[in-house]
Amino acid sequence: MKNVLRNLLWVLTGLIALNFLVTGLRWAVAPSGAAETFNMSLFNGAALSSQIGDIGAFFIGMGLFVLLGMVTKKREWFFAGAILVFAAALFRTLAWLFHGASLMMQFIVPEIVIGTLLLVAAKKLTADHSQRPE
Amino acid sequence: MKKLTFKLFYAALVSVLFTVFGSAASAQPSRPNIVFILADDLGFTDTAPYGSEINTPTISTLAAKGLRFSNYHTAGSCAPSRAMLLTGVDSHRAGVPNIPEMLPPEQTKYPHYRGVLGRNVVTIATLLQDQGYHTYIAGKWHLGMTPDLLPSARGFERSFIMADSGADNWEQKPYLPIYEQANWFADGKRTTLPDEFYSSRFLIDKTIEFIDSNADDGEPFFAYVPFQAVHLPVQAPQEFIDRYMDTYDGGWDELRRQRYHRAVELGLVPKNIAMVDMQTTADWDKLTPKQKKYQAKRMAVYAAMVEAMDFHIGRLIAHLKDIGKYENTIFVFTSDNGAEPSGPADPDTALTRFALARQGYENDYQTLGLKGSFNSIGPSFASAAASPLSYYKFYSGEGGMRVPLIIAGEALQSQSRMTSAFSFATDIAPTILEFAGVEAPQPRFGALRYAGRKIEPIVGRSLVPLITGETARVYGEDEPIGYELGGNSALFQGDYKIVLNRGPVGDGKWYLYNIVDDPGETRDLSRNEPERFQAMLGAYIRYTEENGVLPVPKDFNAQQQVALNGLRERAGPAILIGILLLLIVVPFALYARTRHRLK
Repeated sequence: MKNVLRNLLWVLTGLIALNFLVTGLRWAVAPSGAAETFNMSLFNGAALSSQIGDIGAFFIGMGLFVLLGMVTKKREWFFAGAILVFAAALFRTLAWLFHGASLMMQFIVPEIVIGTLLLVAAKKLTADHSQRPE
Repeated sequence: MKKLTFKLFYAALVSVLFTVFGSAASAQPSRPNIVFILADDLGFTDTAPYGSEINTPTISTLAAKGLRFSNYHTAGSCAPSRAMLLTGVDSHRAGVPNIPEMLPPEQTKYPHYRGVLGRNVVTIATLLQDQGYHTYIAGKWHLGMTPDLLPSARGFERSFIMADSGADNWEQKPYLPIYEQANWFADGKRTTLPDEFYSSRFLIDKTIEFIDSNADDGEPFFAYVPFQAVHLPVQAPQEFIDRYMDTYDGGWDELRRQRYHRAVELGLVPKNIAMVDMQTTADWDKLTPKQKKYQAKRMAVYAAMVEAMDFHIGRLIAHLKDIGKYENTIFVFTSDNGAEPSGPADPDTALTRFALARQGYENDYQTLGLKGSFNSIGPSFASAAASPLSYYKFYSGEGGMRVPLIIAGEALQSQSRMTSAFSFATDIAPTILEFAGVEAPQPRFGALRYAGRKIEPIVGRSLVPLITGETARVYGEDEPIGYELGGNSALFQGDYKIVLNRGPVGDGKWYLYNIVDDPGETRDLSRNEPERFQAMLGAYIRYTEENGVLPVPKDFNAQQQVALNGLRERAGPAILIGILLLLIVVPFALYARTRHRLK
């Protein structure tokens, strides 16, 4: 039973990594569609540079962190991913509380769930515990 | 010595100031405002002054205040027409030999075959703006979407434009799956449409807003209003649709005949001319009563869209009268090409409904033309809209190229007159420049440059001499005017035209017609007048060589190419993302496998 749950966690973590990577690559290859997913319109000039650069880097970075965690089995990589995704949820909430942004629960809830999954992965899929499913 | 120098300098300064301000002050009252209204896909006989049953009182008023052209030609598709209209340069030289969505890869590798307005041409908006005109555009642009190609970089002071070949008329939504979104821009930046949107109303509101923003500074304006009407999807407000619910019950053959008779009555075409029956026209009598009712409503929505456009043009004119600018305004009204035949012959099939649903559309009878509905008139009614001409949009038959043109204004000498003089899309730019008193760029030291860039010369002729009555024609009997778009080709010379229409509707052969006696293109004269035919073929070859016309690939099919390009455009990013993803993930997987084996 434990092995099944671990397998499931491994697959879920892998899907999370792929999703982050695809989102990051979309910002590089087809930014208008990627922006639409986040209820954004594309900016122009310097703002567009920041929009594509920062958001794309965030998602590519997240995907690579999780992949590195899965491959090296070092928990620090999962922690790094979890910190970033929790920070995103926190900043969304702050934006709603103090800056008049919409409360985007459809983003905040998945971010909290993903962050929690990464913390669990840091505990269950790393070298201190039983290894990746054989 | 110093005193003398100072006096000379003072005298020079005074003379320069006098020249600049004096001439500007004296020139101002004579410079007219210009409103250039471009309908989209409007057929030759789709307005009342051109023989239509559709109620277009504003366009009729314009016809009564100016000159109607019965022998005006444009390109068979929109972007090449727009390039020629705005620059006076042949579409191939202007970088827009076809719409970008239709260009095959074999052609797009050439810089003048990108389907966007080249930097080697200058628009009349730039020329007018540089001479003190306020320049505005509200409507469809379709000449490039990157910042350097948008109207804000091509001479328009204010702009609100849609950059695609078409878009929904009720909301910000693409009309074809080849587009990811409807691309609207305001003053060069991406923008969104308001919730309460209907294209013709909104575009006139914007034009009025732009005109009012500088109404008091005494400078004239050039307002370009390229409507979405009556391009696909054919949509109109219900109150306009209601007026035509019984009008088209007789079908497309009856409508084509009615318009033919009216065109003859109006003197647009000679008496007793013949008409071809297009092979794409379906047999009305074979339709069931339910099918007839549906088809009649398709055309009713189309008529409603034309009338709605006319209504909103009327609002603009009323506003110009209110602010005292009407008397000094010249109106140019025309269409970018002939009537649009695209659309299913039978819209009531599961496949059509499925395809529309994928785009977020339906085509139910009750809501046809309203928000969320996709309507078209199809090839049978398109042929009626082009009556009495052959062919329609995309083709180089007269129905694709001959469209209405009205140039009107209170101050013009020509009032309520018509001319059968041949004229072409490239003539509009020099005509507008002459009205504005702006000289076209002239070569200096052997090279034609503008703002430091080498540019193409205007090849069109000003139509002003026709309006003033100085002349009865602007092109000589022997002057050839060549044309090509997607392999469909033509050459006009005097009253004659050689024409080649490719498939799927045409047969890919050259024909010779006298389009003054036989505008319906029914009597091929190539065997009767072989010398003329050969001479015109030779002139066409020279035209292609001089203008860099590229042949289309052997099996080129325009509609299939649009679908292929769209697929490439839409699926391309997904494929690229997949490849990049593999490049990232595979090294990780290999590393993990190696680690695992070592253990």
